[in-house]
Amino acid sequence: MYSIEIEQVTKTFNRFTAVNQLSLNVPKGSIYGFIGPNGSGKTTTIRMIMNIFYPDSGNIKILGKEHTGSTHENIGYLPEERGLYKKMKVGELLQFYGQLRKTNHINHKIDYWLKKLELGEWKDKKIEALSKGMSQKIQFISTIIHEPEIIILDEPFSGLDPVNADILKTAILELREKGATIIFSTHDMNMAERMCDYIFMIYKGTKVLDGTLADIQDKYGSDTISLQTANGAKALQGINGIEKINDFGQIQEIRIAENYDPQDILKAIINQSKVYKFEITRPSLNDIFIRIARPVNGELQQN
Amino acid sequence: MYKIFILALREFRTSVRTKSFVIGLVVTPVFMFGSLFVMEFFKNSGDISDKIICVIDHTGQIVSTISEAAEWHNQNEIFDTVKNKQIKPRYIIEVVMPDTANLLAQKTVLSDRVRNKQIHAFVEIGPDAIHPKADYEKTRVKYYSENSLMDDIRAWLNWPVNNKIRQLRVEALGLEDKNLQILFSQVEVAGMGLVTGEPQVNGKAEAKESTPVEAILIPYIFVLLMFMMVLMSAVPLLNSVMEEKTDRIAEVLLGTVTPFQFMMGKVLGGISISLTGSLIYVVGGTFIAAKLNYSHLIPYHLLPWFFVYMLLSVLMIGSIMASLGSACNDSKDAQSLQFPAMLPVILPIFFMMPVLKDPLSSLSVGLSLFPPFTPFIMLVRQASPVSIPLWQPIAGMAGVVLFTMLVVWAGGKIFRTFILVQGKKPSLGMLIKYVFTKS
Repeated sequence: MYSIEIEQVTKTFNRFTAVNQLSLNVPKGSIYGFIGPNGSGKTTTIRMIMNIFYPDSGNIKILGKEHTGSTHENIGYLPEERGLYKKMKVGELLQFYGQLRKTNHINHKIDYWLKKLELGEWKDKKIEALSKGMSQKIQFISTIIHEPEIIILDEPFSGLDPVNADILKTAILELREKGATIIFSTHDMNMAERMCDYIFMIYKGTKVLDGTLADIQDKYGSDTISLQTANGAKALQGINGIEKINDFGQIQEIRIAENYDPQDILKAIINQSKVYKFEITRPSLNDIFIRIARPVNGELQQN
Repeated sequence: MYKIFILALREFRTSVRTKSFVIGLVVTPVFMFGSLFVMEFFKNSGDISDKIICVIDHTGQIVSTISEAAEWHNQNEIFDTVKNKQIKPRYIIEVVMPDTANLLAQKTVLSDRVRNKQIHAFVEIGPDAIHPKADYEKTRVKYYSENSLMDDIRAWLNWPVNNKIRQLRVEALGLEDKNLQILFSQVEVAGMGLVTGEPQVNGKAEAKESTPVEAILIPYIFVLLMFMMVLMSAVPLLNSVMEEKTDRIAEVLLGTVTPFQFMMGKVLGGISISLTGSLIYVVGGTFIAAKLNYSHLIPYHLLPWFFVYMLLSVLMIGSIMASLGSACNDSKDAQSLQFPAMLPVILPIFFMMPVLKDPLSSLSVGLSLFPPFTPFIMLVRQASPVSIPLWQPIAGMAGVVLFTMLVVWAGGKIFRTFILVQGKKPSLGMLIKYVFTKS
């Protein structure tokens, strides 16, 4: 059962194709991470799901129904570019959004979520008195106050300190526990790896990744080695078969070129330096992202 | 509809609760009618210093009457007996013998005295003023001062000068003036309304006498009230929508409401603000009029028309303003678009006097049936004492309803296209193009 079904959707602006022939199915109750470089089509995809943009072709079903020309009551949407009415009080503002979404027991829910996100004492304060992090949490509450079945969060963690990011993450997981389907776009690959059941990556308007993290990592194979040597990155100079080196200082991460055996590479390194650690791993999401979005430029290349 | 209502309610609450709304309600009429109050208030607060007026009387027969009239004025007209203080200046007449050989030099000297503030003005009464002959210049009475056109004394002189000339002409005919007073009793042609045929309370079946209050003031008040309401409720929507766009509130709302609901929520909020404002004025005005016994002057039958026209006007202008606001990125964009959008409100005000003067002229009928102008111009015509055919307001109303629907549709398309577009400078041509572009 899918909460969202996107089928062969294309959207162009003048001559620029923002989203090209995109198909995507978001299972009910899952957390789906949307990743991709800036301007790759994430927000356009989300806006089409929200019916803010109409697709040029293809169709989108929400909870099994196509919806055109209207908004869906069962979606909570937190856009990337978000603002609040500065002159309104926190409680009034949440009441307004709650009423707009026909929420039952609004006051109870407002109190619950304000307390949950540690904002209980700010209910009667004006929005303009809040810090950026607090405003962001209020925006989150206004998005989910009606406890929708689908929650779409565009960059929910941007600009939040680790403490607030953690509070928000807990709230998102609680909503998932209650049965909500959650889509969130992010540039934080660690967060995406840890939170998402599925990852979808769009690049230049085209889907390039879609599946569970394990599926994606399998697809990108076991060509990554994490190692630690006495000479650091210098120990890797001049060794054939190393396609790329990511130098983290204490640890280096290398990608092996096709048709090269890790054992041969290990032997070559041992000839040059003491080796403390040599571990064949699967590539991180961050690595996969960079491989797709920036295949060569700026990376330390080795032939 | 529910969502539109919630949006409108927020708009209404945030606007009506502000101090600027309350201050606006009080201050705007003060600005609009302030000049009338100021004139009334300061009418007796002018300069009360003595005014010396030199008179060159070429006839030699009129100046004495002017002196007598000045004396009478000084004794009877310059004091407020209740407050026991002088409220008008004394007129002091100084007779100057004409220097016929060198009249120009004499007048130059007198002009210099006026410039040096030694005298207030001087008057020259032509030699043939009493019995005009072919030379028109010699028959004239001329008043020379620094601001002769606006000078009260010039108007004051009319009566004594003409009265004396009349007396002298009667004498010249060998008649006795006192028997001829009746000849000079002016009869005013009174402006009346039409007879309804219904018996009046006092038994007379006479029509009401037309007054400037009914002919000018009532239509004027109606139109200005509507103008005020549009200014107060519809015009601010441009900035309000622009702020929601630039503060990034728009997309948050668009997650819940459609662009059309968003726009209509704003416009409905504007309508509720205008209704509140106008109800306060109408109820307050009716109450005050009742207290002052002027209830009969209020055209109650026009109030429903007024409210319907106002609502349609706010809907029309509000939709235009909201859609333009969605296309603006900063106050510069807003300024350049606001003026053309205000024209349907401003232009009818310019046409008000010609329409009031002749509400049945083809210009008046044409303007009142041109939908953007109908709410204002038709109201002016209906508020005037002239009765206009009933089909005209009905046709006008139908036109406005259709035109407003068109504007709301076009505004909705612009709004939908531009509300999320950042950094694109809007022009009217571009906006019109998008109205006809498939979304």
